[in-house]
Amino acid sequence: MERGAPAVVSGVSPRVKNIGAAAFKYAILILFAVITLYPLLLVVSTALKDPTDITTDPFALFTSLDVGTLGDAWTLGGFGGYAFNTVYITLPTVAGVIVLSTLAGYALARFEFPMRNLVFFTFMLGLMIPFTSVMIPLFYLLRDLQLLGSLWAVILPGVAGSAGFGVPLGVFLMRSFYQDLPGELAEAARVDGATEFQVFRRVMLPLSAPGVAVLGVLVFFQTWNQFLMPLLFLPGEENRPLSTGLYIFASGRTQEYELIAAGSIIMIVPVVIIFVIFQRQFVKGITAGALKG
Amino acid sequence: MAGSGTNVVSRSSKESAGGIGRLTRGRRGRAARTIRQGELRTAALFIAPALALYALFMLIPFANSIYFSLTNWNGATALKEFVGLDNYIAMFRDPTLYLALRNNVVWIVLGTAAPVVLGLMLALVLWTVPRGALFFRTVFFLPFILPIVVVGLVWGWIYHPLFGVLNRVLATVGLESLGRGWLGDASTALVATLVAAIWGAFGFVTVLLYTALQNVNTDMVDAAKVDGATWFERARFVVIPAIAPVLTLVTAITLIGGFAVIDFILIMTGGGPGNASTVLGYYAYENGFELNRLGYGSALSMFITVLSLVAAVAFVKFRERER
Repeated sequence: MERGAPAVVSGVSPRVKNIGAAAFKYAILILFAVITLYPLLLVVSTALKDPTDITTDPFALFTSLDVGTLGDAWTLGGFGGYAFNTVYITLPTVAGVIVLSTLAGYALARFEFPMRNLVFFTFMLGLMIPFTSVMIPLFYLLRDLQLLGSLWAVILPGVAGSAGFGVPLGVFLMRSFYQDLPGELAEAARVDGATEFQVFRRVMLPLSAPGVAVLGVLVFFQTWNQFLMPLLFLPGEENRPLSTGLYIFASGRTQEYELIAAGSIIMIVPVVIIFVIFQRQFVKGITAGALKG
Repeated sequence: MAGSGTNVVSRSSKESAGGIGRLTRGRRGRAARTIRQGELRTAALFIAPALALYALFMLIPFANSIYFSLTNWNGATALKEFVGLDNYIAMFRDPTLYLALRNNVVWIVLGTAAPVVLGLMLALVLWTVPRGALFFRTVFFLPFILPIVVVGLVWGWIYHPLFGVLNRVLATVGLESLGRGWLGDASTALVATLVAAIWGAFGFVTVLLYTALQNVNTDMVDAAKVDGATWFERARFVVIPAIAPVLTLVTAITLIGGFAVIDFILIMTGGGPGNASTVLGYYAYENGFELNRLGYGSALSMFITVLSLVAAVAFVKFRERER
C-alpha cells in the first residue's frame, strides 16, 4: 500500500519511525509464519529420519536422513492403496457436484417457474444442516441400500452435501454465477434454434468455466480431506482412503512415527500442489461464497 | 442470500426497459410465454437429478433423525419403539450433556475469538507492509487446507509427554513443572485440542479479512491520519467499520461450525480422558455409533441442529440490520 508522507509531529524522524514500525510488523509476520510452518517441518523431518533416531528422539528437527521411508509407507504401510481409494472417491464426487450443480444452478438462475424460490431455499437448508444431524440415519439408509463399505457410500452423500459443501454449495455458487452472466448470448442461440440444453451446454456452461473451477477446487479439498464419512461408512480395509487409513494406522502402530509422517506427506502433497496452482480460485471461491452468503 | 432477490428484480426491469424491447413487445411477449411453458419441463429436468440425490441423502436422513429421536431404537431390532419425548427428557437430566455443552461453549467462544482476533491483527499488518504480503498470506493459509487427521496427529506429537516440543520448551525456560501429557490430562485436553483447531483456522480468517481490506478506500485512512488519528483509532473507527460485514461473516462461519465439531475431538482425545474433552457432536457420535443408543444420539444431534440453526438465523438477522 502506497501512503503519502505522514504528518508526524513527534521528535523521532518519520523515516526512523517508519522503519521501526515496518520491522515490528515483519517481526509479527515472521513469528506467525514460524508457528504456521513448524508443524509442517515436523512432519517432513520425522518422515526423513532413520529408525534408530526415531526411537531415541523422534521429533528433533532434521537430525538424520533416510529417504526410504516414503517408499515403505507407500508399499508396506499400505498408503499407496489408500491414495488410490482417495482418488476414486474424490474425482467422482467433484465431477458429480459440478454436473448436478451447474444444471440445477442454471435452471434456478435462468428459468421462471412456480416454487422456484422454495426449491432454492430447500437447497440452502443443506448448507445449514450439520453432518451431525444426518449421520446416524444416513448410516442405516446406506446399510439398507447395501452401499455400506462401497465407494458409493461416501461418493453419493458427498455429492448430496451430507457432510457439507456438495450440491447445496454448488447450486448456491453456480446460481449466482449464472445470474451475473449476460442473457443476450443465450437469447441469440435460442433464436438460432438451439434447444434449452444446447444453450446451456454450448453457450452458458463454457462461459461459467471460472465458476466451475472455483467450485471444483473447493469440493476437491473437502473431499480429499474428509474424515468422518469414510470412518463411518467405509468400515473395512478394502476401500479405505488416506484420511482414515492414516488415522487407523496411527492408532495401531503408535511408535512408527516415520511411517505415520510419510503417510501424512503422501496425503498432503497433492493438496498443497493443487492449492499452490489454484490458490486464486480457492480464495476467490471462499470469498465469493462468503460475501454473497 | 438476502440480496439475490433484488438482483432478479433489477435484471428483469432492465430488460423490459430496453427501447427495442418496447417496440416489439407483442411478438416477444408471445414467444416468451411459449418458452415459459417449455421452461417448466426443462427446469424440472435440469433440477431433478440434484434435488433427488439431495433429498435422498440429506432431507430424508434429516427427517429420520427427528423420527429416531422419538424412539429407543438400538439399530439391531426391526421394531422402533416410539417413546415420545423420553430421550429429550433423559438428555436434559444427563450430567454428561452439561459437561459436553460447557466444553462446546468453551470451544465456540475461544475457537471463534482467537482466530478472529489473530486474523484481524494479521490482516491489518499484511495490508500495511510494503512487500511480502502474498508470501505470508500463502503461508498462513496452508494449515486451513490440511486434512484434520494430519493436523491432529502432528499436534499430538507437539504435545507428546516425552519427546514433544512443548514440554521441551517449557523445560528450557525453567517451567518444567508445567510439563505434562497435554492431551491425556483432563485439565488441558480440551484446550490443547482447541489450540490445534485454532492453528488450522486463523489463516482462513486472515485471508478473508485481507481480501476485504483490498476494497477499503485508503484515502479515508489517510484523511484520518492527517486529522491526527492514531494507528489504533484509524483501525477502530475507519478500517474495521469498512470491513464489518466480512468480519461478522467469518465470525459466524467459525462460530456455527463450532457447534458441530467432532473430528478434532475424535482424532486427538476421543473425548477423554474420561469425558473431560467431550463435546455435543462427539457425545452424539458416541451414542449413535459406539453405544448403539440411536434414539438418544439422534436427540443429541437434534439439540445441536437447533443450536446451530438458532445461531444461523440470529446471524442472518444481524446482517440484515447491518445493511
